[in-house]
Parts: sequence; C-alpha cells; structure tokens
Amino acid sequence: MTRRAALAGTLGIAAGTATSLPFLVPRYDHDRRPSRSHVAILPATQYSEKLSRVLWDGLRLFNLDVAGKSVVLKPNLVDYIPEAEINTHPLLITAAAECFRRLGAKIVSVGEGPGHQRDTQLVVQGTGLEQYLKEQRIPFVDLNRDEVVKVCLRADYSRLGYLSLPRTVLAADFTVSMPKVKTHHWSGVTLSLKNMFGVVPGVKYGWPKNLLHWRGIQQTIVDLVATVPIHFVIADAIVCMEGNGPLAGTARRLDRIVLSDDPVAADATCVRLMGLLPEQVPHIAETGKFLGNLSSDRIEQLSAPLTTPPAPFETVPDFEHLRAKAGLASADLR
Amino acid sequence: MALEPTCLALMALRLDQHANVQVLLNDKRPDGSWGAFGDDDEASGLTGLALLALNTTGAFPGAATRAVRWLLDTKGREANWLWKWKFRTTDTHVRFDPDKFGWPWEPGTCSWVVPTSFALLALKQSFPCCREGKVAYRIQRSVEMLQDRACPKGGWNAGNVIVYGSPMTPHFDATAIALLALRSEPRNRLVDQSLVWLERQAYSCPSPWSLSWSILALNAYDKPVAQLQHHLETLAEPDETYDTATLAVTALALDCTTSGNPFEVVV
Repeated sequence: MTRRAALAGTLGIAAGTATSLPFLVPRYDHDRRPSRSHVAILPATQYSEKLSRVLWDGLRLFNLDVAGKSVVLKPNLVDYIPEAEINTHPLLITAAAECFRRLGAKIVSVGEGPGHQRDTQLVVQGTGLEQYLKEQRIPFVDLNRDEVVKVCLRADYSRLGYLSLPRTVLAADFTVSMPKVKTHHWSGVTLSLKNMFGVVPGVKYGWPKNLLHWRGIQQTIVDLVATVPIHFVIADAIVCMEGNGPLAGTARRLDRIVLSDDPVAADATCVRLMGLLPEQVPHIAETGKFLGNLSSDRIEQLSAPLTTPPAPFETVPDFEHLRAKAGLASADLR
Repeated sequence: MALEPTCLALMALRLDQHANVQVLLNDKRPDGSWGAFGDDDEASGLTGLALLALNTTGAFPGAATRAVRWLLDTKGREANWLWKWKFRTTDTHVRFDPDKFGWPWEPGTCSWVVPTSFALLALKQSFPCCREGKVAYRIQRSVEMLQDRACPKGGWNAGNVIVYGSPMTPHFDATAIALLALRSEPRNRLVDQSLVWLERQAYSCPSPWSLSWSILALNAYDKPVAQLQHHLETLAEPDETYDTATLAVTALALDCTTSGNPFEVVV
C-alpha cells in the first residue's frame, strides 16, 4: 500500500466514523415514551377489497379517537417503476381512508412527497392510486410543493436546527404513517420512521433531499420524527422488499399488515418480522430511548402471536449485522 | 413566492407585457442567488432557472451578472478535495466520477441533474459566445457531469446512475431538462439513446408535467411534437386543478412550436 492510499483510507474512515458519532450523546428534549405501546399484526394475503374489513377489525382493537379530526395518511410512494413492489399499495391506502371516515374523522387526505421523482402526479397515476382517490373523493396533497412553515427541530442529532415543513402535515390533528416494509441500502430498513422523509419538501431541499443525507440519514430521521408526530402506523407488510431496497430489491411476502399506536414499536415489530434486529438500526435504537418503545416488554401484542419464525430478510452487505440468528428476533413477537 | 413556479410562469408569460418580473427581482438575495421561497434563508439550486427566466423575459444586466457570479462560485460538494477522497475510498456504493461536478439543490450538497442542467442552460444563454476562463471551465465540467450521471441505457434519473450495483431508471423531466442543456453540444451516442428513450416513452406518458418537458426537449432537437401536443391537450383537462409550475410548463410545451422554445440555446 502506498502512503497516498493509506492517507486516503484514513481520511475516508474518519469521515465515516464522524457520521456515526452523534448517537453517543443524547440530543433530545425529553423522554416522551408511553408506558405501554400496542401493536397488532394482522394476516392479509392479498391486495383486494377485503382489506377494508381486515383493517377495520384491526383498528377496532385500538381506542382511536379521531372523531372530528383532520387525518393525513402518509403512504410511501417512492417512484413509479412498473411491476416493482416499492410503494404502499393503493388499496391499503384507500381502505385506511375509508376506515378513518367511518371512525368519524372530519377530513381524511393523503399526502406524499417522493424523494427522487419530481412528477408526483405520475407516481399517483402510475400506481393506480389516483383512480381510487377520485372514486372516493379523497384529496391528495403533493408534499413536495405544499406551502411550508419553518419549524425548530425537537432533537438535534443532525445539527440542522430547523426544517421547512409542509403546512398540511403540521396542521393535521392525526398523522398516519403508512410505510411499505422494505430494506434500505442507506438506512438499513425503511418503515414508519424513515417514511417521514417524504414530508420534507423537495421544492426546498431538492430531489433527492440530499441535505438529509449529508447531515446523516439516521440522525435526520430521528430529528424529523421527534418534531412531526406520528399518531398511528399502518404498515404494508403483505408484499415487502428485501435486498437492495428501497427501489431495486426483491419482492418478499410476509402476508401481514402491522398496526400500532407507537411508530417506534411499529418499526421494532416490523424489523423483528423481517428477521432482523431493531436494536442494530440506529434510528430505531435512538428513538427507542425517548420517543417510543423498542423493548418487547413494553409492547403489547393485540393480535394472535406468530407461530412460525421468518427467515431473515436479505440486506446489502453494509447491513448484514442486522440479520438475527435463527429465531432470535421472532422470539420477541410471541 | 415559490421560485420554480414563479420562474416557469414568467417564462410562459414572456410575450405578455404585463408579466411582472419585478416579483422575481424583489426576492433576489444579496449574494446574487434566489431562495426556494421569498423568505428562505438559503440559496436554491434553481437559481439557474431564475437566470433563465430573466434572460427570457428581458434585459436585467445587474441581477443577471450577480446571478452568474453566484453560479460560478457555487459547486457540488464532491468538487472539494476531501469529499473526492471519500467518494473514491470509502463511500463507493454510488458509481460516479467526483471530478465531474455541477450544481447542487442546496449549497453544501452534491451535484444533481436538474439544478446542473438549468445552471448550464443559463450560463450558455448568458454567454452565447466568447466563453473563457471560469465560464468555459464550469460549462465543460457540468457537461461532463451530466454525461457521467446518465443512466446506462440513456436518460437521466435524479443524478444517481448505479447504486449497489443496480442501475437507476430514467425520469421524463430529468431526461428532458438534461437533453435541453446538452443541445448545443456535439451529438453523441448518449444523447441519441436518451432521445430514443424519451420519444418512445412520451407517447404513453400519462402526466402533464412529464409530457410537457418531453415535448420541450424533443422540439429543441427538431423532432415532430404535434401529436404529443395533441396528447397533452387531452391530458390537461380544464376542470383539473394543477399547481402553477405544471400549468406553466404545459403552456410552454403547447406554445413552443408557435412562439418559440425558451429552453433552446442559440449559439
């Protein structure tokens, strides 16, 4: 090895280490974890009209009070790539809208700001969502181009201090994060917490929202979800993605919908369903210290326990350490 | 004021003597750039588009000179030697050449296709000839950057090409805007492949934003667009509510064959 190569390697390692250091020191305002969180893992084997019934039965396990409230559903619509299982399924989104209307919500809207694709309408049309939204008269807000409000962040891992965020999300009484369960080549997994990157407006931060990457993806996820409350999670874990997600991985069936009143508990549960270790995902581990419950001792399962442990999801090489030894992650789901 | 819809609307209204360019000039930042919004604290990577709007709507030498200066002083973070080392040594999962750089969406981040293309177009329009020194250097570097960040089979995504070994797929608008920026460059295989992709896909494009950008690019390359314009007319339903940016770019696309294409660079 030449001296030049050694210096290059050292500088690179230093730069890499610098991005993981912020989690050594807590940078949140106060501990907001509920004493107990609730999760329901519902069997669902196909995307069909029957999802409304499955979801309705699941939601009734929770004492949700949305009567008279404005509800924003935040699905994961990352791009339009025909045949690729990368987005929250439109039937699940419209089923959720229907259920929250039945629960008495004043208004239910859907909002998303894709990270790479500037043409949000193309994504909404291409995925088939637009047709369902029109039929059911559900408004859609392009969060990349919504009016923005400058907001001080309630955690300081990214050192950003503030973000400009869409008024629609900030003004909502009740925000539902609706991720597609996928592995992610930069953040390990993309679930209800990472899904909130979609509220950061592209019109200010660009496509992709590259500033968030430069300030550390794990750190900015924590700062963002500490600031924008997620009141409920409906995760699409029917057909998921493993490997090189969020765009180029392989479809993987779990045949489940995961509901929770705590996004950290939801993500921890989804990660365990994926056969991975949530404690090893930095943004889940850190939010588990102040925002929600990571430990299975504080997560109450409202549904029937899983009987067969899943084989761990494939990951990119940088996240192979997330893969649990056989049965270790799923043991916490019982 | 939001920058992108304002610029596109001013360009769409370029022949209307009542179009109020002052709205754009008022929100100019002291350093010559524009923010994404009127009261934004940071400069926006769409400053190139703002300069294009000024170039299209009239002569504003003071504002244009300061905008050019800002563009020449701003570059993607990969242009810095430290980050070049990082992208060559440890951070190698995205395939790109950090020696080739353009403009970022926000200062302090990497170069991306759309802001680079708008800045490149604006510089080419501002300096139709006699490009020397820093102007020539930045134009050359950004042309190389766009060529480096193209998808393997032509077209452009946001600026990533291959991530963890997987090729990215092209987007309509990024492809069209990059093609517009490269129009005055010598034709090569990449441009031809990208044009073929865009032309083939445009006929089935279901969205006004993407189709409009496609028409503007194909028109600049002298491709027939009448059929696509008709397709756009059927897509853009009068009772639909579109955002201002989409409405403006739709008007530009429908109008480009009669009133000219403001994204064309005359050399």
